[in-house]
Amino acid sequence: MFTFLPLVMQAVVFTDVTFEKAIEFNDYCHDHKPPISFIKAEVRGLFGSIFCDFGPEFTVFDVDGEEPRTGIIASISNDNPALVSCVDDERLEFQDGDLVALSEVKGMTELNDGKPRKIKNARAYSFTLEEDTSDFGIYEKGGIVTQIKEPKVLNFKTLREAIKDPGDFLLSDFSKFDRPPLLHLAFQALDKFVSEMGRLPVAGSEVDAQKLVSLASLINENSGDDRLEDINPKLLRHFAFGARAVLNPMAAMFGGIVGQEVVKACSGKFHPLFQFFYFDSVESLPTANLDPSEFMPLNSRYDAQISVFGSKLQKKLEDANLFVVGSGALGCEFLKNLALMGVSCGKQGKLTITDDDVIEKSNLSRQFLFRDWNIGQAKSTVAASAAALINPHLRIEALQNRVGSQTENVFDDTFWENLTAVVNALDNVNARLYVDQRCLYFQKPLLESGTLGAKCNTQMVIPHLTENYGASRDPPEKQAPMCTVHSFPHNIDHCLTWARSEFEGLVEKTPAEVNAYLSNPVEYTNAMNKAGDAQSRDTLEHVLECLKKEKCETLQDCITWARLKFEDYFSDRVKQLIYTFPEDASTSTGAPFWSAPKRFPHPLQFSSTDPSHLHFVMAASILRAETFGIPVPDRVRNPKVIAEAVDKVIVPDFQPKEGVKIETDEKATNLSNASVDDAVIISELIRKLELCRENLPAGFRMKPIQFEKDDDTNYHMDLIAGLANMRARNYSIPEVDKLKAKFIAGRIIPAIATSTAMATGLVCLELYKVLDGGHKVEDYRNTFANLALPLFSMAEPVPCKVIKHQDLSWTVWDRWTLKNNPTLRELLQWFTGKGLSAYSISFGSCLLYNSMFPRHRERMDRKVVDLVREVAKVALPAYRRHFDVVVACDDDEGNDVDIPTVSIYFR
Amino acid sequence: MSSPSKRREMDLMKLSILLMMSDYKVELINDGMQEFYVHFNGPIESPYHGGVWRIRVELPDAYPYKSPSIGFVNKIYHPNVDEMSGSVCLDVINQTWSPMFDLVNVFEVFLPQLLLYPNPSDPLNGEAAALMMSDKPAYEQRVKEYCEKYAKPEDIGAAPEEEKSSDEEMSEDEYESLDDEMAGQADP
Repeated sequence: MFTFLPLVMQAVVFTDVTFEKAIEFNDYCHDHKPPISFIKAEVRGLFGSIFCDFGPEFTVFDVDGEEPRTGIIASISNDNPALVSCVDDERLEFQDGDLVALSEVKGMTELNDGKPRKIKNARAYSFTLEEDTSDFGIYEKGGIVTQIKEPKVLNFKTLREAIKDPGDFLLSDFSKFDRPPLLHLAFQALDKFVSEMGRLPVAGSEVDAQKLVSLASLINENSGDDRLEDINPKLLRHFAFGARAVLNPMAAMFGGIVGQEVVKACSGKFHPLFQFFYFDSVESLPTANLDPSEFMPLNSRYDAQISVFGSKLQKKLEDANLFVVGSGALGCEFLKNLALMGVSCGKQGKLTITDDDVIEKSNLSRQFLFRDWNIGQAKSTVAASAAALINPHLRIEALQNRVGSQTENVFDDTFWENLTAVVNALDNVNARLYVDQRCLYFQKPLLESGTLGAKCNTQMVIPHLTENYGASRDPPEKQAPMCTVHSFPHNIDHCLTWARSEFEGLVEKTPAEVNAYLSNPVEYTNAMNKAGDAQSRDTLEHVLECLKKEKCETLQDCITWARLKFEDYFSDRVKQLIYTFPEDASTSTGAPFWSAPKRFPHPLQFSSTDPSHLHFVMAASILRAETFGIPVPDRVRNPKVIAEAVDKVIVPDFQPKEGVKIETDEKATNLSNASVDDAVIISELIRKLELCRENLPAGFRMKPIQFEKDDDTNYHMDLIAGLANMRARNYSIPEVDKLKAKFIAGRIIPAIATSTAMATGLVCLELYKVLDGGHKVEDYRNTFANLALPLFSMAEPVPCKVIKHQDLSWTVWDRWTLKNNPTLRELLQWFTGKGLSAYSISFGSCLLYNSMFPRHRERMDRKVVDLVREVAKVALPAYRRHFDVVVACDDDEGNDVDIPTVSIYFR
Repeated sequence: MSSPSKRREMDLMKLSILLMMSDYKVELINDGMQEFYVHFNGPIESPYHGGVWRIRVELPDAYPYKSPSIGFVNKIYHPNVDEMSGSVCLDVINQTWSPMFDLVNVFEVFLPQLLLYPNPSDPLNGEAAALMMSDKPAYEQRVKEYCEKYAKPEDIGAAPEEEKSSDEEMSEDEYESLDDEMAGQADP
């Protein structure tokens, strides 16, 4: 028997519906109990619109998708309002009006009540609190301030009301600030056109376009205060011409945005579109005026695209020779788009895609050309086959080479010279910079994009028009100071950084050193003797420990080792640290040593009834066993079994080391003793090691473990999360679960399908311009978008900088060429002829000449090519006729002049 | 902004001029610009005076956007230098580095400041920090012992084999022969 389940619909999306019908459905959804979120999306040629109505009272739980912001308090005044100052090692990111909660405040404990308080006068390191603290206790120390993210209630209007009174439009392109009201009008006019004519306007039909303009004009005349001065008939004509066409890039972009809106409607996470969104990309149209005959359908799969761009541009798309670098999330989207657009699908066309990665399970959430049976296969090959199914004419070649200086034999000069354009689909900055340099060198357009969660950006790099990708850069990620990570963590990131490094030391580095020693004891010990420094001594001590004192032969040995590690890390080291720096210690200036942001630690007391303690011991002993090749039976994964075993371990009492030293183990004592020579200790260690080695079974080796975050059953993340959380517990820092730990420690950048689709759609709208050629820099758009807010910010690319010297001028896209295989002296003279003095010449990272190094003068009469061969030790293969050098030079007045790369032809 | 590779050249150029005018030197390894050594003297007003350290400088690919990596090769007793690895915990070299800084700043300002004014509140060498806070004369005594033992010119002259054989290392004689030419050089 078949029965209907009661169905609770949360959201509905309409894509092809008249206003009349839409209003009817929307009213129903709006008044439904509970309300149904209503989304209407429409794409007409290069124009698109979205309308959202999530009901009369929609609650957003997370308005921006950002982590709650925090700060570490340094002082609070007894005042109305109270002034809160924070430590100056990290800028605060609060905004006026944010709600915050305070905790851990010493002295002024009234503020620890967890009550949300509003902040004002938000500055980099301070803010005021809406609270009269005059009668509160006097602030002593400590305190954390944490943002409380408030839910926000939105009152949506229905489409019926919103059409007449649309309110503020979300602006996407700041060079087109008057566009949204015009497009609001245009879509209404088109709806009217369809209801009157029973069809959409025909591409290239001036009559239809005129009809649409007069309908728009009529609606405009009747719109009272909202009447527009200029209804831009030229733009409306483009709108009418493209009205029948749904273009792939527009569909990809709008699909991404609408997809995210659906997720918002169902989850309350991220701020919805409120309420209309309009977008157009008329700049994507060819620069030349098109004859109506160009729009005629050819009875091909590209007719819609031809009706907008004309058959000439279609031919250019088909004959393009494109290089797509990367076949991950962006790469899959790009291949789908390119196949649908017909790019590289003509007889002259060629599409090369390369990626050296294989498909993993975690890719399947967004890399939609892959299926679970493809796991383990090469990404580029699978993606290329899937794209060829979408469009059998696609002339695609899939490679598995990582793009970089090592693969210039594959991606050689001929390969680059034949390209029309390059599309980056990469996930790291270094590879992007490399491709950027190659595009700069071969003067190829580069279409760059990237995503970060709900955010995405696109950047067009166009020869001789725009600056290159590497010209402007984000500051590199901030790293926690070493001293903070070593002894004074104050957030979970610090604990995880420490945990990662301990993990590597314990299960990867030391076992690898043990093997290096055992494989070639003579060579290894010689090298250690020769280095003779503290680091070599430290390494040898670890190797000796592993083979002697802490050598594991049974599983119980591993459990004992893990239990003692726990004692060392989370009890003894902390006891030693607070012995060296007692809670009341003060610095030379008399200020308390333990002041913010430093947190005073407490040692942990091991207990086999604490599941976190036990889990640490389990993960550590299992991995220890793995490094020693000891089989791990399943029963060890039972906490009871571990608890029984761990209680048998005898743990020695802690004795603080005399003197003042943070570290506690044997080697630290030796270390603090400055009068003992490292070299002497190293010889002694080697002697002991040699004795150990004689007792080892023949062929004994350890098994180093490499960190692999993606396997949930390998205990790697368990050990790292355990290390980090136990350390966090020492310092009263909130702990994190394994998944969160994995995100932070694995540096996982969340990637979602919606922003990826949108980014690639935007890039493909630019590809029309690139392949048409002849567009000015004003026609191109770079985009930054954040679907969580939502925010769309499009702007013209930054033009490339023109550098002038005497009567010469050049940009980063230019190159200076010297023929006839010059000597160093001839090269320098060539610059003198231009009024420039070259003082330093390098090839790659090798210095060929620097006027400051006297020895370099002996090279004056050598051919530069010989210097490249001998100094840089680079073999120039037979097919190479030239090489490039970077020259630093200054003018007559001693000012540095940033000159182009210099190409020297030697054959 | 110059291209990163050119910036590397200009920095090395400026540094070498500066170093030649003072009394310390740069060791290039096979003319590479990614990694080299600079000899650095303890500032006069500090207990480190008289010590000389070989400082390993590594310029990452992203330099000057990313900070150079700086490490003491021979031992130093200092609250903010790791005794084992020679790593330096100094905010201007690590967290607050800006592409506006260059190597001349590092050797003329940052490192001398670090040795003149150690910061025991954020120690990397806890023992040194605690001693400095509790017993300054004993700390200074310890610093001097370390200088005597590990930071004499002969301690850093004993470079490992491959570096010694580097044909581009500038010898002391070359500095002298350079003096005349230096006078004619424009100040960069």
